[in-house]
Amino acid sequence: MSKSDSEIGSMRLLFLTLFGKAWPMWVGGILLGVGNICLFIVLKPWGASGGILNWGQNICNSLHIVAFGSAEEPLPAVSAHPYSVLCFLMLLGAFAAALMSKEFALRFAPAGEMIKGLIGGALMGLGAIVGKSCTIGGFFSGWPALSLGAVVFTIGLVIGTYAALRYLLFEMEKFPKISTGKTAQFLSAPTGRVSLQPLIGAVVLIVALVMAFYYNKSDNKVLVCYVLIGLFFGFVCQRSRFCIVRALREPFMTGESSAPVGVMAGILVSLFGFATIKFMGAGTPKEMMWVWPHFWVTAIIGGVIFGIGMTLAGGCVVGSIWRAGEGHMKLWASLVGMIVAMPLTAKYIAPPLYEALPPSMKQQFFLPAKIGYGSSILIFLAIILLWYLFVKWNEKTGKFSAI
Amino acid sequence: MAVAVDHTLDCCGLSCPMPIINLAKGIKKMDDGQVLELLATDPGSKLDVPAWCKKTGNELIESVEENGVYKYYIRCVK
Repeated sequence: MSKSDSEIGSMRLLFLTLFGKAWPMWVGGILLGVGNICLFIVLKPWGASGGILNWGQNICNSLHIVAFGSAEEPLPAVSAHPYSVLCFLMLLGAFAAALMSKEFALRFAPAGEMIKGLIGGALMGLGAIVGKSCTIGGFFSGWPALSLGAVVFTIGLVIGTYAALRYLLFEMEKFPKISTGKTAQFLSAPTGRVSLQPLIGAVVLIVALVMAFYYNKSDNKVLVCYVLIGLFFGFVCQRSRFCIVRALREPFMTGESSAPVGVMAGILVSLFGFATIKFMGAGTPKEMMWVWPHFWVTAIIGGVIFGIGMTLAGGCVVGSIWRAGEGHMKLWASLVGMIVAMPLTAKYIAPPLYEALPPSMKQQFFLPAKIGYGSSILIFLAIILLWYLFVKWNEKTGKFSAI
Repeated sequence: MAVAVDHTLDCCGLSCPMPIINLAKGIKKMDDGQVLELLATDPGSKLDVPAWCKKTGNELIESVEENGVYKYYIRCVK
């Protein structure tokens, strides 16, 4: 017997609307797309691997394992690097959102799953540094940046995702023991009783706002914005369960289209915003931002490795961050894997690889430089339309669905 | 909860996509009319399980939440 809307009260109704049910993925996509444009206006487009790399590099320096930075170019501290701050605030934002929805709990997966999280994270670290991108820099932001390298990276992501999905299905069939075993949950919100989670969530939000306040006091406008937008991103990702892995993997699983469509919505919004910023900023550094020198060899290699890693882990970099905020320990293992793998790849694997490649295989391919803005936008719109048509056709016919 | 359960699938601790992969595999082994109880702690399952049932034609009889564990009762429809 439920109360009518007028009996519940507007505040409570608003709270339930925001935190009672998950937001649709297309809503999340559009909000992230808008936030991405704001980030680009403030400094640079949305990226995730850069922040994690900075964390790893700082840890290496602190532990005196490998040295990063030099006297002339010291390594930025985790509190000073914009993308490090962004990643941390995404974690806080997701944590706050999970708490306010009473969806936070420390969830320990079976040992085999935790190991897959760790290995997946390490592969993502390797793929992101070799490919100079992740699902954000090389796809969600990379396509709007009108970089053809991002399209190649995405093809790699799809190949890697499919390969890893087939492995997971094989593993479940032949070695089911790996994904079964002892699990544990702690601190979940009790059903039907008052929970402290929403209150703690509100406190976390206040902590984030205090951080913004302090950066404002030291006149660091960029970091003020990165704190607020990062918080917003983490919040939106958790509420809408935004997942790029799912967008690329779902056609091969259930065929359901809401995830790919949600990602498409975000890319479309950013596409128009980024194109405008770049067009008006022609000749300035903004124009070439997020056009990575990975066309085409390291884009495909990095994409495949990253795609395998993210599917094993159950989340990309952003996905690992927001799920870690929700309390899934497998994704904390994924973050650990990334934090370890990224600085080591950056120091020992990427440099010799890039040295060995001829310039033609590691280009910055900015499509408008070859065919102009109008044609470039039309081509990306056509790619998105084709993807949409495929996803909708596959949803109806189930031709590519494996389960 | 007065539904007779024929098989229980414990997916507690598993995060997306494992609960759904396990569910698909579990339903395959069951006969028409049998009831599967799925336990999960991933909040994503709240949307995924009903969507999967709708798509595959299996009947979601009921879903309840108990202190962080989401319980789904699904009748196999072949």
